[in-house]
Amino acid sequence: MARVKREMIASLVISVFCIIMLTWGIPTYTPEYPGYGASSALVPNVCISVMLFMACLSLLRYSMALFMKKPMSAQELHFAEDLGDNAGFTQEGRVKLKHLTSTLIPCVLLVVAIEYIAYMFVSFAFLMVFQYVIGSRNWVQSTLVSVILTAVLYIVMRYGFGVPVPGPQLF
Amino acid sequence: MEMIIAGLLDSLAPASLMFVFVGVAIGVLIGAIPGINGPMAIALFIPVTYYMSPLTAIGFLVGLNKGAFFGGAVSAVLLRTPGTPEAAATSWDGYPLTQQGKGEKALRMALYSSVAGDFVSTIVLIVIASPLAAIALFMGPAEIFALISLALTVIAGIGTNSIGRGLIAAGFGILVGLIGTEPVTALPRLTFDIYQLGGGLSLIPVAIGLLAFSEILLQLEKFTVKGGGTHVAHEFSSKLEDRMLPLKEFFASTKTLLRGSLIGIGVGAMPGLGAPVASFMSYDQAMKRSKHKEEFGKGRLEGIAASESANSAVVASSMIPLFVLGIPGNLAVAMLMGAFMIHGMQPGPLMFQENAQLMYGIYGSLIIASLFLLIIGRFGLRYFCKAVNIPAMILYPIVVFTCIMGSYLGKSDMFDVAVMLVFAFIGYFMRKFDYSYVAFLIGFILAPEWERALQQVVIISEFDTYMFFTRPVAMGLMILTFFVIARTFWKNIVDCRKTEAEEAAESAGQHKDD
Repeated sequence: MARVKREMIASLVISVFCIIMLTWGIPTYTPEYPGYGASSALVPNVCISVMLFMACLSLLRYSMALFMKKPMSAQELHFAEDLGDNAGFTQEGRVKLKHLTSTLIPCVLLVVAIEYIAYMFVSFAFLMVFQYVIGSRNWVQSTLVSVILTAVLYIVMRYGFGVPVPGPQLF
Repeated sequence: MEMIIAGLLDSLAPASLMFVFVGVAIGVLIGAIPGINGPMAIALFIPVTYYMSPLTAIGFLVGLNKGAFFGGAVSAVLLRTPGTPEAAATSWDGYPLTQQGKGEKALRMALYSSVAGDFVSTIVLIVIASPLAAIALFMGPAEIFALISLALTVIAGIGTNSIGRGLIAAGFGILVGLIGTEPVTALPRLTFDIYQLGGGLSLIPVAIGLLAFSEILLQLEKFTVKGGGTHVAHEFSSKLEDRMLPLKEFFASTKTLLRGSLIGIGVGAMPGLGAPVASFMSYDQAMKRSKHKEEFGKGRLEGIAASESANSAVVASSMIPLFVLGIPGNLAVAMLMGAFMIHGMQPGPLMFQENAQLMYGIYGSLIIASLFLLIIGRFGLRYFCKAVNIPAMILYPIVVFTCIMGSYLGKSDMFDVAVMLVFAFIGYFMRKFDYSYVAFLIGFILAPEWERALQQVVIISEFDTYMFFTRPVAMGLMILTFFVIARTFWKNIVDCRKTEAEEAAESAGQHKDD
């Protein structure tokens, strides 16, 4: 039932998002109707309404499965990894939040830090941290990859495309 | 005629030839690496094309896509790990051949079948796209609106097990695509007072985040820490008959190749089906019609020919709906459509009038890319096989850093990198919860065109809601759209009842046993 509960939460989150957009987001951040053509809120409203309808339908379906014990197929009740089904091409499965945050945090720090520290240092540090996070413990290889990648992309951007590298300029 | 010659000569210019060659080579290399596919490669390399001429850029990306399609067969044959769904059928017969030491022979069959399917499909595209586009020019905004609605509905079913989730994803994609300047009032819409959103979200960071970065996030989950990747020792036999593919053996599969190509062309021309469908359908047909059914799945070359010719034929034929109607049929073509738009062109029937020379140049590049694929594959096969062994510890940092810098490259703004990370996060959850990122991305790309068509309908008809009823083609397309939705829901209801009945029968059986 873990999957059913998760699907219910997902549908609920989408429904809440849609309601917020319908009641606040779209009315506040859409230009007023100019008097000709269709209202600029029409298409966003239609999209959000379709999303809300589908999310409510899904919520109803999973609620019936959870509370009224309506039967569902094994694929809908369990995660693919529990069924040993790796043949499908969808990547549905459990969310691994720890992995996700540990991978994304260095990237977010890079975006913030590069505004203040030169590209060379931040990129090198980012690549070292990233390789450590994904499990690399070979320091020589990590250093080489970081130095070469930073230098190659610097040369490609600066001299290949003529684009300034992000952050304060050293040279 | 002058246009045709000028366009073809453009495609033979040294810069154009060089970038098509480089595109095919990178495509094969990237495709050979498990987990990296054609659309992902296009997303990563579109920023590089900012600095190229439109013909060179499109030629490079088309070459990349063609190369990646064949490259997918390398990991399928050597590792039985199809990097892309369409290569799965190739692995069924390719891998047993590798186990017998005939991996090189299997790869040669895959290469020649890919080139054959791709070449036939390219010729069909060249012959029929232009006349069909001339007919499509008679379509007005009502027909375009109805057609995009139908395409979005059909595409909502791609990459997910539920059309409901597909529709949510497509709706969300359209909503995100509407962020920016509203076309009628020219005022900002849904920008939430973030000034960088005034011009709308660029395709590049969104596509890189959704396609490439989120995929890497998922792959890193499966990646076991120590050792740095899986080294696969694939020993090729030194016997000449196990390595070479004699013409006689190749031509023994002519019928299968032709059938596979035709299936690929048919499937590719229909939005929403895609290469995996073509590949499985062709394999199935080849097996059913073969006198040696029992050999399929155990290393029969005909199986590889069926799968590869069909999936490669999809590459060119999936451009038919793009060139004729301006609608992308699959993810790779959606990315190509984005590249066209970045270079100032709106794909669709008008391209043959507005950019005729360029279109013939693209046709030339498509043919040249097929020839380069043959040459590169023929002489570089053994080297590309080594790509499957690139250590993940080196590969992932390269891909991640390229994603970050590629997102930055478009506008030289770190805001785009932040956007990429946000969409990587969203893409990760979409994949985990089975919401189609393909439908999202195609909705995102088609949203402005869809809204423009709707605005034109409203303005021309002066709010006459019956306008669709006076246009038979538009009405037919709208009816078809509702039919697709209704049919899918009906199928879901039938499936639910079936499950209920099975469940009831099972519990009744258990009671009896007790």
